[in-house]
Amino acid sequence: MGNKNHHAHHFESAAAEFEASKQGLWVFLVNEVLFFAGLFVAYAIYRILNPDLMHEAHKYLNWKLGATNTVVLICSSLTMALGVTAAQKGQQKKSANLILVTILLACVFLVIKYFEYMHKIHEGLLPGGLFSYHEPIHPKAPQFFSVYFVLTGLHGIHVIGGIVVLAWIYMRTLRGEFTDKYFTPVECTGLYWHFVDLVWIYLFPLLYLAS
Amino acid sequence: MSHDNHHSGGSHEEHKHHILPESMGIKIWLILLFFTFITVWIAQFDFGAWNFIIAMAVATFKATLVCMFFMGLKYDSKENVVIFCTSFLFVTFFMILTFADVLIRSDSIPKGEAFFKTASGPAKFKKPWNSTPEIVAHGKALFDAQCVTCHGSAGQGNGPASAGLNPKPRNFTATDGWKNGRKPSVIVGTLTKGLNSMPAFATLPAEDRWALAHYVTQFGPSIDKDSPADLTKAGVDTSKDVIGEVVSKSVPVDFVIERMSEDNR
Repeated sequence: MGNKNHHAHHFESAAAEFEASKQGLWVFLVNEVLFFAGLFVAYAIYRILNPDLMHEAHKYLNWKLGATNTVVLICSSLTMALGVTAAQKGQQKKSANLILVTILLACVFLVIKYFEYMHKIHEGLLPGGLFSYHEPIHPKAPQFFSVYFVLTGLHGIHVIGGIVVLAWIYMRTLRGEFTDKYFTPVECTGLYWHFVDLVWIYLFPLLYLAS
Repeated sequence: MSHDNHHSGGSHEEHKHHILPESMGIKIWLILLFFTFITVWIAQFDFGAWNFIIAMAVATFKATLVCMFFMGLKYDSKENVVIFCTSFLFVTFFMILTFADVLIRSDSIPKGEAFFKTASGPAKFKKPWNSTPEIVAHGKALFDAQCVTCHGSAGQGNGPASAGLNPKPRNFTATDGWKNGRKPSVIVGTLTKGLNSMPAFATLPAEDRWALAHYVTQFGPSIDKDSPADLTKAGVDTSKDVIGEVVSKSVPVDFVIERMSEDNR
């Protein structure tokens, strides 16, 4: 990786290096879309085969917490976008603060998710054989919670990964490594973070509001 | 864009990087919040299948805004747009092929679910080893639904499917050929374990098997009764009201084939 205004020797220019890095990130996001697609297809087939269950199971999820988390992630997407804008303009202090707010919002998301998970674990609304709810819901309800935990769990891992990368970008911004000429890592991290928001935009209505 | 720059040989300093204006970012943010509210608000109404379609349309609209403005795809190179959109093309292939596979296989249609429900319902008859008009009527309903294909509606073993079977299905009106007697407990045993071309119906609740046994013995010229010893041998505790038997959760292959051939008729 080049730093400041210098680009690696195998690139013709800093601009070419930037474009290559960004294209690499888009290819990575294609991979991510297909990674999540496996679970979304599993969800869709599960829904087709158990139409009556979808009506029942979502009642056991708290849509208010899901909606709050949707708002939290949309706000974090805004602070990320504004952070990238500030970085591109060379406003490093502002960029660092906005990235910090993004990290804090990501943590708020995880805290809400933690309370949701704890409630499910307490009630016995768990995947497959671990399911031990006090009253019968539907013979396939344990499968719904398998789908729920794997989908939201994989998304949660992406949020945690995002926090780690954002923290690294925050430190580098504080160290003054980025300028209005070189901000590739900030922009690429932004793309990844918006993707995490994209997945949740679909997960929220599919899991919490499905009827 | 990088390619254009390479080939034109022009100065890269000309290359203007698009910067999302702050006011634009805030506008997109407000639209996203508004549509999140719409998604939640509209979910309280029941439009049937439209609820799902509306929710997905709104989500896709929101996702498009995030892609175009926050991720800057609107101002990005054509290559990156094509690369990212290709992923959705492959997701579509993935969905179509998987759905086609799942939905054309009849064993994955929820029909089977209804069957399992009947197999694990609460007890309908007390002491089902005793023949009563009620349990015989229940047995007739089960027989007409599941057994007539081979045994025939009059129980003479001449149902439409009997032509291909060797040995022939049991003729319940005949008294000969019953090695173990024509008692209900014996017939329940055959229903549970199967015999020659007769598949095992162990997934039926025990009381349904008893109901069938009581019904088919009525076809014949005489009705043989179970002695207390016969009942004990069949695993029945006559001091109780129900049969304390765990219903098998697995379905025998023959039974599934028969169900499928029945469903397809």
